[in-house]
Amino acid sequence: MAFLEVRNIRKEFPGVVALNGVDFSVELGQIHALAGENGAGKSTLVKILTGVDAPNLGEIKISDQNALDNKDLFDYVSYVPQELSLFPKMTVAENLFMPFNKSGVARGLVRRSVLSDEAQKYIKRFKINAEPQQLVQNITISDQQLLQIARASTNKNFKVLILDEPTSSLTLTEIQRLFEIIAELKKTNHAVIFISHKLDEIFEIGDEVTVLRNGEKVGHALMKDIREPDLIRMMSGEELKTDKVFFPAAAAGQPLLEVRNLSGPKFANISFALCAGEILGFAGLVGAGRSEVMQSMFGYLKPRSGEIFLEGAPWKLGDTSFSVNHGMLYLSETRKEHGILPLLSLRDNIGISVFEHTVRAYVISNTKERQKVNEIVEAYDIKTSSINKKIMYLSGGNQQKAIIGRAMACNPKVLVFDEPTKGIDVKTKIDIYLIMKALAERGMGIILISSEMNELMKCANRIIAMHQGQIKGEFITKETDKRTLVSAILGIGENGNAS
Amino acid sequence: MLRKRSLEFFLNQRLEVVAAEKPETVTLGGRVGAQGGVRMLLRKVTGIFSNQLSGVAAALVIIFIISCFLSPYFFSSYNMLIVARALAFIGLITIGQSLLMMLGELDISLGAIGGLCGVIGGKLMVEMQIDPFVSFFVCIFFGMFCGLINGLLVTLLNLHSLVLTIGMAGVYSGTNLVLTKGLAITGIPDSIAFLGRGVYLGVPTPFIIMLFVLIITAFITMRTPFGRYIYAIGNNTPAAKMLGIKVNHVRVICFVIAGMLASIAGMLMVARLGTSQPSIGETWILPPIAAAVIGGVATTGGVGNPVGAILGAAIIGVIENIIVIFGVSPYWQSVVSGAIVVFAISFDSISRRYLRKED
Repeated sequence: MAFLEVRNIRKEFPGVVALNGVDFSVELGQIHALAGENGAGKSTLVKILTGVDAPNLGEIKISDQNALDNKDLFDYVSYVPQELSLFPKMTVAENLFMPFNKSGVARGLVRRSVLSDEAQKYIKRFKINAEPQQLVQNITISDQQLLQIARASTNKNFKVLILDEPTSSLTLTEIQRLFEIIAELKKTNHAVIFISHKLDEIFEIGDEVTVLRNGEKVGHALMKDIREPDLIRMMSGEELKTDKVFFPAAAAGQPLLEVRNLSGPKFANISFALCAGEILGFAGLVGAGRSEVMQSMFGYLKPRSGEIFLEGAPWKLGDTSFSVNHGMLYLSETRKEHGILPLLSLRDNIGISVFEHTVRAYVISNTKERQKVNEIVEAYDIKTSSINKKIMYLSGGNQQKAIIGRAMACNPKVLVFDEPTKGIDVKTKIDIYLIMKALAERGMGIILISSEMNELMKCANRIIAMHQGQIKGEFITKETDKRTLVSAILGIGENGNAS
Repeated sequence: MLRKRSLEFFLNQRLEVVAAEKPETVTLGGRVGAQGGVRMLLRKVTGIFSNQLSGVAAALVIIFIISCFLSPYFFSSYNMLIVARALAFIGLITIGQSLLMMLGELDISLGAIGGLCGVIGGKLMVEMQIDPFVSFFVCIFFGMFCGLINGLLVTLLNLHSLVLTIGMAGVYSGTNLVLTKGLAITGIPDSIAFLGRGVYLGVPTPFIIMLFVLIITAFITMRTPFGRYIYAIGNNTPAAKMLGIKVNHVRVICFVIAGMLASIAGMLMVARLGTSQPSIGETWILPPIAAAVIGGVATTGGVGNPVGAILGAAIIGVIENIIVIFGVSPYWQSVVSGAIVVFAISFDSISRRYLRKED
């Protein structure tokens, strides 16, 4: 009997079905790997397994009791998130045992000596290179990662450990260290749910694997019954429909943008060219450095070295104002943090980019602004009850359309879309594909960063695969298939079919 | 030209692709007619007093009326002159401070800049016998220079404006003491006295100047691109940068404006007192911040406008005045006025929690 079991889970967010009829179970003493592309629903499932979110439908059983009725049961599940979530300015020992009521180390008074002694055990067991009284910010990232895992196991009750991409910032030897720890947990009759994009790791330590795609469970197998190509096929799915393709019709025109040896934060030696009238896709895992490349091109980040030419003319790096005025725009993946001006109205949000049309003698004309904004609202089909509504109250899809509409008013030559359909419902996704296609066919150069393979295969003429800050291959979409691309972004594939 | 084409092009494209499922779009102010005109006017009037501003204005009116009932002396022309004149000086600082707060910045050194400019003005006029009006403008430029230093330090070194300006306040007020050794400079020429003491059509001159400044800054914030940039940066600095707004330029300019307004306030105060008191500006630090918050400017930036901030300053001014008239023991005065400020901002927060509107 499985210790932790969910059945027929359905989870909806406004406009999206994140999980649909998913079953998942894990037994004590087992390591269950969870695989799937970004946006497949893994993190939503984790949130449900840890009790952070409640499902709309379905049941959760922990040690044969219904966990939805008894939230205390979720105490058996410990979760280690992908990002570091430690307190950097507190000591290793303090981090380990926080919250103190769960670890039971300090009741009433927090005593340094007690904490240190207790911490020493965990430090030894998890082989962390740190002293209990060291500040977390002073130990290495990989030790922090291990500390985070150690922290999850200080919970007295824990039986199930969920590790979300625990190896993304670890080196090979450290990964081996982690695997030894996982094996030990397995021996002490704990269950481990292991989420990773690195297939070789899944094969190395997993007992069984469940694959999610687009919120549905598309496969489950014992590790010994399956081979790597099967897993890749399950993850990517080959249900690409030919009738739903959004390639720009015209062949690529003149070279528009040329990037030479660009190096910067998280990436090195990036060179590529973008032609007018094409959509150039960038594939890669989260953290592959795609956004950093684009933000450095755009001037939001400062690259270390490299050159960019737009229409043959050298480009000024590190100045967003220059970029906007000279025809390059970047639409960020994080709408909330880098896109919208949340407290301002839709009108002000769009109006800020159309001053060229609305300002006479330094003064904004109300009438002209309303006219222009309404024009954009209509052209890009932004649904709102009023243009005076604060943009934060619009749906994600409509915010995205407003941002695109605003960007288009700046008349760019190169437009970078960073995950433009993240968190957006299917219908609006298609609207955005149509917009991109229309813009490319008008002679604009479009760069599309996406973690959804299907999206790239549908929209991009060419796809560049990035892995850990480097270009791993360039593919002409029509002459490649999804499996090749998935291999390339995992860093195990060949070098592409385009020269 | 190209831009226009892009929209038309896209429109056509959309029509081709989704002709069948063209959804309804909401257009505003589309209907024009006799009725529409009235409605537009109504919308304009309500628009002006929409949201926060109406609440602050209503609060001011209520407090004002209550004050009239509480004391017959309150609404006397003499007392009104006092209230208006006091509001003029605090108001100028409040306008500058509210601009910075809309950006998400603060300048604690504005009072010190005002005091230092007053002292320098006194030195120029009295000790160096420079024409009072020339001195006045020299001081304004000096105030702008102080603001420029604050702004450059904040933007170039990426410092926290609150902490930086606490330090700069020490520098400016210290310079003030070095120059004066704590002694007032007397004998300010009478020719500029009217700027501080004058009354025109029953309204004190400094108040008129403050109103004039308020109208200009309100217009800049609401109707010019620069104003929109202030809101954009205050709302979301990374997004503003992504839009290609020169974030640091805007921030520096706002610091310069605030410095300029502080120096105007300082010089008007010198004109009013007839002496350059080194203590000018000492009380101009926290009330303007409180006034701006009461008036709907968030310390985190992005919302509010200078008009609301001035209304907030007026509320504080009226309350302080009525407390004095009422003969509240001086020991209790700041307790009462402080408590009312706390009440005012919590009232706003509570009412917003229950009357949360979507626009």
